[in-house]
Amino acid sequence: MTPSDTWGIPGPVFLRWYLLLAVVLVIGAIVYRRRMLAGTPVTDHGALGPQQVAYLNGGDQLAVWATLGALRHAGAVGVRPDRRLTTGGPLPAGATPLDQAVHHAASRGLRTRDLAADEWVRRALDELRDGLVRRGLALDQERRRTLRGGALLIGFLLAIGVVRAISGLLNDRPTGWLLLSLFPLGLAFLLLNRVPWRTRAATAALNDMRRRHAWLRPAASPAYATYGATDVALGVALFGTATLWTMDPGFAEQAEIQRQAMGNVGGASSGTSCGGGASTCGGGSSCGGGGGCGGGGCGG
Amino acid sequence: MSGPSGVGIGWRPEIAGFVAGLPGLRFVEVVAEAVAPAGPLPDGLAELRGRGVDVVPHGVRLSLGGAEPVDPARVAHLAAVAAALDAPLVSEHIAFVRAGGLEAGHLLPLPRSREAVAAVVANVRRTQAELPVPLALEPIAALFDWPDDELDEADFLTEILDATGALLLLDVANVHANARNRGGEPTALLDRLPLERIAYAHVAGGAEHGGFYHDTHTDPVPAAVLDLVRELCQRRRPPALLLERDGHYPPAAELRAELDALAAASGHPAVT
Repeated sequence: MTPSDTWGIPGPVFLRWYLLLAVVLVIGAIVYRRRMLAGTPVTDHGALGPQQVAYLNGGDQLAVWATLGALRHAGAVGVRPDRRLTTGGPLPAGATPLDQAVHHAASRGLRTRDLAADEWVRRALDELRDGLVRRGLALDQERRRTLRGGALLIGFLLAIGVVRAISGLLNDRPTGWLLLSLFPLGLAFLLLNRVPWRTRAATAALNDMRRRHAWLRPAASPAYATYGATDVALGVALFGTATLWTMDPGFAEQAEIQRQAMGNVGGASSGTSCGGGASTCGGGSSCGGGGGCGGGGCGG
Repeated sequence: MSGPSGVGIGWRPEIAGFVAGLPGLRFVEVVAEAVAPAGPLPDGLAELRGRGVDVVPHGVRLSLGGAEPVDPARVAHLAAVAAALDAPLVSEHIAFVRAGGLEAGHLLPLPRSREAVAAVVANVRRTQAELPVPLALEPIAALFDWPDDELDEADFLTEILDATGALLLLDVANVHANARNRGGEPTALLDRLPLERIAYAHVAGGAEHGGFYHDTHTDPVPAAVLDLVRELCQRRRPPALLLERDGHYPPAAELRAELDALAAASGHPAVT
């Protein structure tokens, strides 16, 4: 040990232990994450309702929009010139709690953008999410926090490495290998820090449904008059609010529904919609502003 | 050859989900020009083929009635679509859509002359030579007769069918429209057509405007057209009948009711 060693630890010794710890942590985090995100495969494809699909695809906001689409198709909601929602008729039979909550919010003249914050709607959305968590399709807050915890440990290690490298540089010690190892570690930190809100089983189910319901793609100009309200909700759930804009542009504009296209053709690749982060969500104009894809859960 | 059978519906991307949900469906028709034979089939069509539903390509741009020979590229496309869909037959119109290099964008009627028969027959034979499956020919509706018609509708069609061995795709709504707009009894034409040559029949909706019946394909099928379906089936029931709807799609229940009405009028089993 020479007196000029940074922190009194010789470079090669530090590097050996540092790399060992880094590898153990990253592998541990990846293995844990893979197990946590596996989820329970969906076997019965009729089992998922449009609102559940919407939540899995785009969180609270998309679930609200899908609900709004179905209610609009059924003539149960409308929009006033001052852009506040209104009711146009009674709730259709078989309405879900979220349908009821959105309908109730419309009867009180809320604006579309305030729906997700409404107490009733909030409660219905929580219920929706809890159901999906129980089915192994969505992640609860606790689980997401745990996953972020793994990333945090790696971040901590990264910080130590950065401080050591800076001290080494200031002391004129060789830091090449340490600096080199910081890059992959930083990358691992960034990737693991993105925690999705749905499991891989949910992503697989979404891709499968997108394929099965390709006829609901707005590009096919679906005959919404022929299809039912449930199909409209599923269209929004799988392919975004472009469905609403295609079906009823007047309503969509007046109600200030964000324009958004999701799930490009087929959805064969993993994470075509929100999961892919940059692929379809990044477009700024299409999906920005904390809309369906925002909310911090956009990792895949 | 086993051609299409039962009651079918024109497959359009707009109603692909509705068509996919018809449990008893055994055949559909697709606009041939809308299918790219080299690429993958449209999602809904692939699924229908997987279920064993017959898909008949229906050409609209071949211009069999043109004075010039049919475009070999268009014939090749039709043949390739038929092969890709493993279709039992293909259909096209007895009409022209272009002349002297100009595209009409519409199916235009031919004068019913010997010269026109010869032109159509030559083009049909050229097409048949390249097709892997039989060809069915559909006469079109017209609001007027050409002044120099030498043949009546039945003779004109029969001559073409006899000379080419082609099958007939009879549009019942057109028969109604022609009789309504040009005068005459629609059943009189039925009595004189070679009904045994019908591969399948088209049935579509229409509406009356300004004293004329328009074969719009965007309105409900009128009772008069369904009556004519009954008349046709009493004489000789076509193996298959197809509901054509090309826009202004109604709620699913109405569309199902139209299919049921067609099944009831023809005596074929309901597909809904």
